Amino acid sequence: MSILLIGVNHKTAPVEIRERLAFNDEACANGLRELVDGVVVREGLIVSTCNRVEILGATATDQLEFSAGRVAEFLDTSGRLPAGFLEKHLYRHTDEQAVRHLFRVASSLDSMVVGEPQVLGQVRHAYSLAVEAGTAGRILNRLVHHTFRVAKRVRNETGIAASAVSISYMAVELGKKIFDSLKGCTVMLIGAGEMAELSARHLVNAGVSRVVIANRTEETARQIAEDFGATTVSLDQLDQFLSEPDVIICSTGAPDYVLTEERVRKALERRRNRPTCFIDISVPRNIDPAVSKVPNVFLFDIDDLESVISSNIREREREAERAELIVQSEVMQFQQKLRLMDVGPSIGALRQNMQEVARAELTRQRKRLGPLTKEQEEAIESLLMSTVNKISHPILNQMRRFYESNDADVDPKDPFGLEE
Amino acid sequence: MRSLLLAVLAAYLIAAIHSILAFVNKRRSLQRVAEWSTAAGFVLHTGALIADWVIDGHYPLFFLRETLSFLAWALVAIYSLVLYRYRTQALGAFVMPLISVLTFVALIMGTNSLNDPTPFSATWLFPIHTTLFIFAYAFFFIVFVASVMYLLQERELKLKTFSAIFHRLPPLTTVNDLATSFASLGLTLLTLGIATGMIWSSTHYGHVWRNDPKEIFALLTWLLYFVLIIYRSSTTWRGRNAAWLGVVGFGLVLFTYLGTRLLGGYHVFG
Repeated sequence: MSILLIGVNHKTAPVEIRERLAFNDEACANGLRELVDGVVVREGLIVSTCNRVEILGATATDQLEFSAGRVAEFLDTSGRLPAGFLEKHLYRHTDEQAVRHLFRVASSLDSMVVGEPQVLGQVRHAYSLAVEAGTAGRILNRLVHHTFRVAKRVRNETGIAASAVSISYMAVELGKKIFDSLKGCTVMLIGAGEMAELSARHLVNAGVSRVVIANRTEETARQIAEDFGATTVSLDQLDQFLSEPDVIICSTGAPDYVLTEERVRKALERRRNRPTCFIDISVPRNIDPAVSKVPNVFLFDIDDLESVISSNIREREREAERAELIVQSEVMQFQQKLRLMDVGPSIGALRQNMQEVARAELTRQRKRLGPLTKEQEEAIESLLMSTVNKISHPILNQMRRFYESNDADVDPKDPFGLEE
Repeated sequence: MRSLLLAVLAAYLIAAIHSILAFVNKRRSLQRVAEWSTAAGFVLHTGALIADWVIDGHYPLFFLRETLSFLAWALVAIYSLVLYRYRTQALGAFVMPLISVLTFVALIMGTNSLNDPTPFSATWLFPIHTTLFIFAYAFFFIVFVASVMYLLQERELKLKTFSAIFHRLPPLTTVNDLATSFASLGLTLLTLGIATGMIWSSTHYGHVWRNDPKEIFALLTWLLYFVLIIYRSSTTWRGRNAAWLGVVGFGLVLFTYLGTRLLGGYHVFG
């Protein structure tokens, strides 16, 4: 059996092509039923995300080429594209390469943002669809479970996803550098832009218990506040509440500084100098850079955040190198497992063994036949071989089917179908 | 008991190397190795100290060699407490190498002293006095490391120069809490240490206070940490300044422990 992986991703195809190929859950189930015929493509699974569409299949080794053609054709038709159109966008991996590719995808090493956590969930979902459609068999089951294990190892043993690489997540990361726990912390949004809201959502997920929103239009503030169970304050009352939050995210559209050094100094005094993290994601800036001079105030503007992000991305890339080593060793382990599972060679050996027995019998009895012409000798040999092959074929075939699928229709008392 | 101490040193070295690697690589498996070998070293070390006590016939905290070994042991105990309470594994990368060095020096250092420890260990008060001091020093060392971490981390956050170390240090409030509570524990032990010293001295020599350099510096240390505690215990966040005090205080501790030898006085034993 061979493993085959064909698909496109964000590196090989533009979004115009990826969106045409994308499968929703229903299309995925139908597509799998159509593609996986149990003869050419024995098992199949479709991973479809916004950055990739990949088809993973298991097929008999001697039909690998043929299967690959079928899968490519299937992608063309399901994307309603002219035949061969995808040729230059498709990548095609077989066996070891395919296994490595799947491991890398699930470990988020092949993602646009290396280390992003969603892709593993997407692979998991793809697998559950394949299980429902009944197209995940003996090979893919093992492969996918091994993949989950690899992704888990990469996550645990490297820091590939340890640091934030998006502006909205930076608030959480910086908060965690200052406060040992975000539980019990209060966050204030000054100005309720989309980015600020997203940051607040991340903070709440990380345990922040209280959100205060100050916005110019109170209506907007109230709408967002409902989402979070937050309280709202008007911008005029800001000074009164400024001493409460531990993290302040500022993103108003104001043309100049909303928070000045003077204001912040007073607020800090009232909160007894406890550390405060100010994040200014507005352009033009809304917090006076001089605020940074106040002791125990940590101020970050958009450029600071960007520079942390790029340093984090470098960190992730370093970690990714370590992850590649893990993937490499796991690919080797899986290949070994696969070889143990593969009964192809042993069935071949069995057939050869039978043929040898027949030939040995012929040699032993040859003298009794007396002198024969060359044609006669050949006829006897071919008669023997075809008898052996014809007798063994259904048995060996049944054996192969028994080992290559977990089909329940194989009778355990009669695994070779001799009683039929 | 040298061979046992050698095994202790080996365990601490393994722990130190793995702590540093875990600090650099952030690998949980490395940290586990570090923690297990620290634990193994601690058990062996406890055994070594007891064996010393039994064989030499005096409490194993008299000669400089012994105080170093005892200090290393106390540091391991306190570091384990930190791990248990604060989970700041990063501390290991700083503490374990020092512990290894202390153990190493204790191992190679001979005992060439004319002092006879017997009269001192005859009373139970003297060993308590020295033990209290050693533990106080160990607590102050943790305060020192936590303060340095605070200053490094604060600096990175203020200047927004996020070097590799930034990703590896514990949060500011954690190290601040750690420094605060360990300073007060250290001060408590130091107070008791000075008190027991005074009682012992008065029963032995008839004087409570002899103006010995070590006594004076111990008093200065006590005063400094007392100020530090008062300063930290107010409801206002002290952060940076308190951290600096923690660093300076430890300089004084070091001098009290080792430097006063240079000044002479009756407190020099080893």
